[in-house]
Amino acid sequence: MAGRGIIGRRAVLAAGGAALGLPLLGRGRPAHAQAAIGMQLSWLHSVQFAGSYIAQDRGWWREAGLDVTLLQGGPNAPVEPPVVSGTALVGISAADYTAAAVAQGAPFKILAVAMQKNPFVVASLPGNPVAAPGDLPGKRIGMALANTPVLEALCRLNDVDASAVTVVPTQYSAAPLLNGEVDCLLCWETDLPVAMAVQGVESVTMLLADHGYSVHSQTYIATEESLAERRAELVALLSGEVRGWEAYREDPVAAARLTVARFPDAGLDLATQRLQADRQVPLMFSDLTEARGFGWWTEEAVAANIETLALLGRDVTADLWDRSILEEVHGA
Amino acid sequence: MSARAAAAAFRPAPNGLAGAALLVLGWEAAARAFAGTYLIAGPVDVLAYLSGNGALMARALSETLGNAALGFVAGNCAAILLAAAAQLWPRGRAAIAGLALLVFCLPLVATGPILRVLLGPGPGPQIVLAALAVYYTTFVPLLVGLRAAPASWFDLVRSYGRGPVTELRRVRARAALPYLFAGLQIAAPAAFLGAMVGEFTGAERGMGVLTVRAMRALDVEATWALASVAALVSILAYAGIGALAEMVLRERPPVILSPPGAAGRGAGPARGALVLALAVAAWWIVLEAAGLPTFFAKRPDDFWAAFVTAPDAAAARATLLGALAETAIYVLPGYLAGLLLGAGLAIAILLVPAAAAVALPLAVALRSVPIVTSAPLLVLALGRGAVGTVTLVAIMVFFPSFVACLHGLRQAPGQVLDVFDSYAAGRVARLVHVQVPAMWPAFFAAARMAVPASVLAVTVVEWLATGQGVGSLMALSASLSDYDMLWGSVVAVALLSGAGYVAVGAVERRVLAVYAAEQVAG
Repeated sequence: MAGRGIIGRRAVLAAGGAALGLPLLGRGRPAHAQAAIGMQLSWLHSVQFAGSYIAQDRGWWREAGLDVTLLQGGPNAPVEPPVVSGTALVGISAADYTAAAVAQGAPFKILAVAMQKNPFVVASLPGNPVAAPGDLPGKRIGMALANTPVLEALCRLNDVDASAVTVVPTQYSAAPLLNGEVDCLLCWETDLPVAMAVQGVESVTMLLADHGYSVHSQTYIATEESLAERRAELVALLSGEVRGWEAYREDPVAAARLTVARFPDAGLDLATQRLQADRQVPLMFSDLTEARGFGWWTEEAVAANIETLALLGRDVTADLWDRSILEEVHGA
Repeated sequence: MSARAAAAAFRPAPNGLAGAALLVLGWEAAARAFAGTYLIAGPVDVLAYLSGNGALMARALSETLGNAALGFVAGNCAAILLAAAAQLWPRGRAAIAGLALLVFCLPLVATGPILRVLLGPGPGPQIVLAALAVYYTTFVPLLVGLRAAPASWFDLVRSYGRGPVTELRRVRARAALPYLFAGLQIAAPAAFLGAMVGEFTGAERGMGVLTVRAMRALDVEATWALASVAALVSILAYAGIGALAEMVLRERPPVILSPPGAAGRGAGPARGALVLALAVAAWWIVLEAAGLPTFFAKRPDDFWAAFVTAPDAAAARATLLGALAETAIYVLPGYLAGLLLGAGLAIAILLVPAAAAVALPLAVALRSVPIVTSAPLLVLALGRGAVGTVTLVAIMVFFPSFVACLHGLRQAPGQVLDVFDSYAAGRVARLVHVQVPAMWPAFFAAARMAVPASVLAVTVVEWLATGQGVGSLMALSASLSDYDMLWGSVVAVALLSGAGYVAVGAVERRVLAVYAAEQVAG
């Protein structure tokens, strides 16, 4: 009886929450305990995760019975440990990181792909541009040494001599490019080039995905155990994500505004967020997502990923990807 | 030297305004010299940023300062308890000191994810990391301070038939007070920095979060505004603790006479093995009790398997040892540079007291500006080679040595200085014959503290700038989920620090047996 009492009190609390200015909750639904779920983001809050903020802001997860906490990432906040330990049901990762973790024994599956095109670019200045992989030899490239396999894979894919490129280990910032320490940077299309643009510095970006580098990024990962035992929650979580990102697609400016308003302590700046929001649209949305819905992927894309991952030293098979949750979400 | 002069060791010199003005001018000059590099903003730009973003900065400051304060209290309380335990239980002293050292060696890249998983999205990890950043630099000077009393005082306690507990309360605690205040002053900037860096593990808000974002956004005004606020807070905390010390420490340091002890009994191989065994047991028990998955929280047997019994163990060992060799090359030069910079600065301030007005705030500021903020500038100026690496390491490790030595110099017995004064002896004679000998215990405390600090600092520089060694290997392993290699690196760092610690101990016993026998007795 004590257990019933507790459930009853939780239900009252939930209903009270609905009455106290959470109008989207419980419209005609029986109030019940919300399932507390964590989603581990891969970096600091920004418009990079705006689809999630929209889903939360509009109460789509609450309606589905989920109480979602978005766990912020950071320089020393890897995504994999909280997902393995169950602190987070889902993490935002990338196919190469996931493949590395699986090789170390983590039982991960990729459930959906937010960035169809990998966001890595080589960014340079117009006076000394890297517009194609063939421009790389003789250049000094600033990057984290951990990304050396990425550069090597790009060179292999384009028959460029990687040893002719000088790697300079730099912090993740555009400053080394602007003060002449390096000729180009390995970074994301949506961060350092955006920072330069906001500072009034024009840059040239060469998207690795346009030169054969096929690695799914901003992928949703969960453990095999969660896939087996918590399917309903996963479907509800990803449904909210899909709706959130579709709303984002319709109005990226509103998404940027929501992001800035939601995190007043994060030091976000609207101009930066708007530019970032625009630049990630072509990475996330395509004719494929138009036809099949947000997060979708094709067997061909998986095959291309497997090839690039092999160049990165990762041997994976197609069952790293599991589309069953997404199929349920999209009613496919 | 008068009691007031002794206490003045703790507070910025009275001509502080002139010193501050000089510092601000130098800062503006540096900003102009590096204009256009997107690496430094001067005081004018920083003030402009702060006036436009005061509310944001105030909220971030209150978050980080609150966590730093809790970590400061927790870390220092832990240090006091550990030091008292080590004093009351002499047989356990080596084990307590050894385990305290090993825990201090744990790098953020390994502890961050574990603390976040254990303590959740709130401020827990930041507070713990702030506490971890301070306990060791209070614990080590306290160990010294608890012994810094004349043998006759202990004889007095014993003549009343009292034992070690009374000795601790009535004699040792008071003798240790100056050393405690030195530890607290070392801890002030460290706690703030620890709380800031702790936010890198996925905190929602605070000055560390803002620093990460500002650096990526090329927002150099925000980056340096954050660094300036961190430095200012640390300077105020340092001065505040100094003022408190001045109120409390009114007595002149006594002449410490002790019978030459049976020195030479150090951490023998048996004790070393005991500490290692305890460390391995604690490692295993803590992770098991917390129920952490072995995927990222490797146990001793995982380590053994990965580096000894697995088919690819030889390759893993070769990778780790290769990286360790690259790191080890820089540890000794960086260590010596930091220690000598700290001791040298302290002696310079004693000889030229007017220099304190610039040197003290500069020292605190250097310590409290996050290295991620200052490193790019130093790397641009000095390069990524040996000079840049050793300079960065020295900047990261000199501060505890500086404060400890500054304080140790003031432990010169008042009566002895009176004798020198009566002969009108000069500053140099007083320094060489009285103050430096009085400094040796504190100097060796500094020398011990600087060992793990230098090893960690070299790995940070490797991660930030040179891309070599264990620091780079740890960053790479963490990003590839290669937690076997990450934990292997942690073990390597701990063993390297432990070896350095033992080496310093051997030198220390020889020197202190002559200059401060009370420190090596028993």
